[in-house]
Parts: sequence; C-alpha cells; structure tokens
Amino acid sequence: MPKKKVPLVEGLFTWPSEKPRLIASRCKKCGTPAFPKSPYCTNPDCEKKTENVEIIELSNRAKLYTYAVQAYPLPEPFKMEPFEPFPLGMLDLPEGLRILGMLTTDKVKIGMEMEMTTRKLYEDEENEYLTWAWKPVE
Amino acid sequence: MKNRELAIVGMGLHPWGVWKNKSMAEMGCYAITQALADAHMKWRDIQAMACGAYMWIADQGGVPSLLLGTTIASMMGGTGIPCANIVNACATGQSILREACLAVASGEHDIAIAVGSDKSAGGFFRPQSRDKQFDNDYLRYVMVGETNPGYWAMEMRRRMYDCGTTEEDMAMVKVITSRGGAHNPNARYRKEYTLEEVLASPMVCDPLRLYEICATSDGAAAIIVVPMDMAEKYTDKPLRIEGLAVGSASFGDPTIPLTYLSSYPRPGVGFCSESRNALAAAYQQAGRTPKDIDVIELPDNSSWHYLTYLDMILQLDYGGSDKLLREGYFNVPDGKVPVCASGGFGAFGEATVAQGLWQTIEIGYQLRGEAGGRQATNNPKVGLSQSYGYAGNNGVCILSKAW
Repeated sequence: MPKKKVPLVEGLFTWPSEKPRLIASRCKKCGTPAFPKSPYCTNPDCEKKTENVEIIELSNRAKLYTYAVQAYPLPEPFKMEPFEPFPLGMLDLPEGLRILGMLTTDKVKIGMEMEMTTRKLYEDEENEYLTWAWKPVE
Repeated sequence: MKNRELAIVGMGLHPWGVWKNKSMAEMGCYAITQALADAHMKWRDIQAMACGAYMWIADQGGVPSLLLGTTIASMMGGTGIPCANIVNACATGQSILREACLAVASGEHDIAIAVGSDKSAGGFFRPQSRDKQFDNDYLRYVMVGETNPGYWAMEMRRRMYDCGTTEEDMAMVKVITSRGGAHNPNARYRKEYTLEEVLASPMVCDPLRLYEICATSDGAAAIIVVPMDMAEKYTDKPLRIEGLAVGSASFGDPTIPLTYLSSYPRPGVGFCSESRNALAAAYQQAGRTPKDIDVIELPDNSSWHYLTYLDMILQLDYGGSDKLLREGYFNVPDGKVPVCASGGFGAFGEATVAQGLWQTIEIGYQLRGEAGGRQATNNPKVGLSQSYGYAGNNGVCILSKAW
C-alpha cells in the first residue's frame, strides 16, 4: 500500500489538493496580507482588532525574485532524507507578499513564472512528509 | 546623548575562538577585568550593568545563560547594582551599550558597564524550539531549509543580478579584511587569504563560498561608560560617544529577515530598513554625514553584507560600493576609509551578543592608535560600528577622539 502523503506541519498549505495553496491572513480593512497568518493586521496605521483579519488562500502562481542553492547539509531539526543540495528562493505573489520556499530545480532564472507544488522531505513507516515547493511553469 | 556628554574610558576583550572549557560567565568576567584595568577601576566602582542575554539556550547554558549578566555579576562578586539582561540578536552589543549610556546620561549613575559574552560556535544557527504553532523560526527552518548563509546567498544573487557584482568582488572582500585579521591577536583566524584561495573554497550556499561567509565563534567584550567631565580621571584618551542608535524594521520592508517566512514590500520602503533606521538616527545624533567617517566596522557576515552595508553607511547608490572596493577605497590598513580593519566577522566569526561591543572596541583602538599592524594609516578621528541582527534588529555607534 502506498504511504500516506502528509504536510510536515499542518495548516500552512491546503491539503490534500491537486493544486495546493499557501494559507495566509488578510486584513479586511486595509488589505494587508501575512504568511503565516497573523492574529492582528501588521500595518502600523490600521486598527488592532482580531475580528478584522480573515483567512485566505494565496495564488499558486508567483514570480521568482531570487534564489540560492543550499549545498551543505543542515543540522536538526531540519530533516531531508536522503540529503541532497537543494535550491530555495523568494517569490513574489500577486497578493503583494514575498514568500520563502524550496524550488524543485536549480535550472531557474530570476523573474521566471513559477507554480506551487509539494516535495517530499522524508518518510517513516507510515507517511511521506511534505513541504511546499515551487516549479517553473511549463 | 542629550542630557550628558558621554565617554568610553575602558574596553576589554576575551579573544574570539572556540573555548570549550570556559563558561560564558568566565569569559565575561575576563573581559570585565580587562576593561576595568584599561579604566584603572575596581569592580566596586561599577554602578550599573547591562549584559547580553544568551540566545542559544536550547543548545547550551540554559536559563543561567539567559540571565547571563546576573550570573556574571555573581561570579565577579555581588555588589547589588542594577543589572539588565538584554537580547537583540547580533545587534545586542550596541543595544546594551545604549542601556549603559542611558543609565549615565539620565544622571542616575556615573559609571556603567556593558558586557557581552557568547558561545555561538557550532555551525549553522538553528531554531531554539520545536513549536509548530507559533515559532516561525522553526517553520522557516524545517519547511524551507533556510540557513543564515542560505538567506545571505539569496540576497547576494539578487545583488549580482541588479548591480553586476562579480565573483571576484565577493572574494576580494575576504582578501581585504583578512589583511587586518592577520594582525589582530584577538581574532580567531589570523591569516591573509589570496583571491585564488577564496575562489577555490567550497560552495556553501551558491553563490556564497566558505571564505565569503563567517564562522560561528565564542567571545566576550566589555565597555565602561562615564560622563565626559569625569573621563580624565580614568584615561588620557577618552572616546566621545557621538551617536548610538538601535533600529527595528519599518512596515513594508521588502526584506524577508531571518526567522520570517514572508514580507510585504511597499513603495518607498528600502530593504534592510532596520539598518537604515539605525544609521539615520545615529548620524542625526552625531550631527555627522558619511564623509566624516574615517574607519568602519560593519557586519561582514558575508560578502553580501559587506557591500550592502557600505552602500547604506556611505549613502551610495545601490551597488555603488562595488566600484569603490575595486579601486581600493576600503583597503586595510591603507585605504581612504579602511573597513573591518579588525579582520571583521571573516576573521572573528559571529559571537552573537558580544560582537557589537567588539566592533565598537575596534573603532576605539583605531582612534586611540593602538591597533598595531592593522592600524589605519589615515589618522582616524571618527569611526562607526554597525551590527545586524536576526528578525530586523540593528545597532550603530559613532565614536570620535575626545583629546
């Protein structure tokens, strides 16, 4: 039986889903978004009322702002088995947020259109543990 | 500061390195004894103390290292003075120096000490909790695998794209700063590096190589502050504290600072706003402009930092420091404005909560003409130290000769 695919941490992206999206918050008054979700609007000039904040799903398309390749293995609590050098980047979303994420390939260019997907970090006897990642739009 | 002119009259360092068999408290006490000797003071003369609280307590030291000042005061021998334990990540040094200065500037005390001691050695920094619900530092680490150098490498790649910074520029930073480190008895790495050596060092986080990022180290430092009108009792060479500012980030900063997963870039807000905010405040306090600064100690955690901080400190156009670097403007010790003559983080390594004090002390040595083989040759009269901390923290100190 195939192992169950589950997010390493629940609540950060929609799952299970064919087209997963990051889960963020947005202020209903001024439109300021936040990822991960924030209980208060982070605009210093906006009201501080938790009822002003709503949960939203972010676009699954983004533009690559910059990237790097992590070549050395990381100490715990990061876990990727087997470890292999991996690219990570900052991406600009239509909602105005710039967010961090792993990339599925280092064959990328700044400014490239990317689409959100998932990738496996490691597995145990029951599950495969996933995080979000970005791949070039085909 | 506004109410009272202040002077540094005592400075002490514990050498940077890996000190497995010394506690942070022991290293802190050593730095204090050096500062007291420099100021011809006794421990009982100190009336107030601010100390860096240790950040990595999940790894070592536990709660006594979070309350490090209290622990150090106890090891020195309790005298009942007020002792604040403060942490502002890598900007802790300037932050605790500011607390010591505020204690004296207010008139509440006449002699205050700032102490930082830290054991950061041990590779990549990592989150200090396993809290999946509220610790964004944990989330960005386990979900994205973002290390500190990983973040710096992303910023470096963007600078190369925007400004045309080259691999040789990045490597030259280490070549230049290592010329100072080779002559600094308190540095951990006392070796001059060639361009070829730096370019041949292994890639850690592409595009940054091993010698283009700093190590993590252990170290301690202490600074004693008094009113300027009392300074001559303790030293022939008082250092005037002209500006001392701590900055946090502004809403709309496009940077995704370490420990965060996102930013919300807004028009008109520059990146590293915490650094620009601290610089602007320090320049204003001092009544200075960048052309007044003769020597600089900046947070060269990586070659990206070095170049970016020079753009900001000298108020250059984005990428402007690349050209000056190539022209030798920042050369150690004989450039127009020597930068990181101490050897910088490249030679010292990060000892998080202590490093802002060490950088400020190096400016002090340079102004006092006590920097030996790395002494700046431009007869420096005014210097600036700046530190950059996790999550949007920054500290800047401007010192001048007061004799």
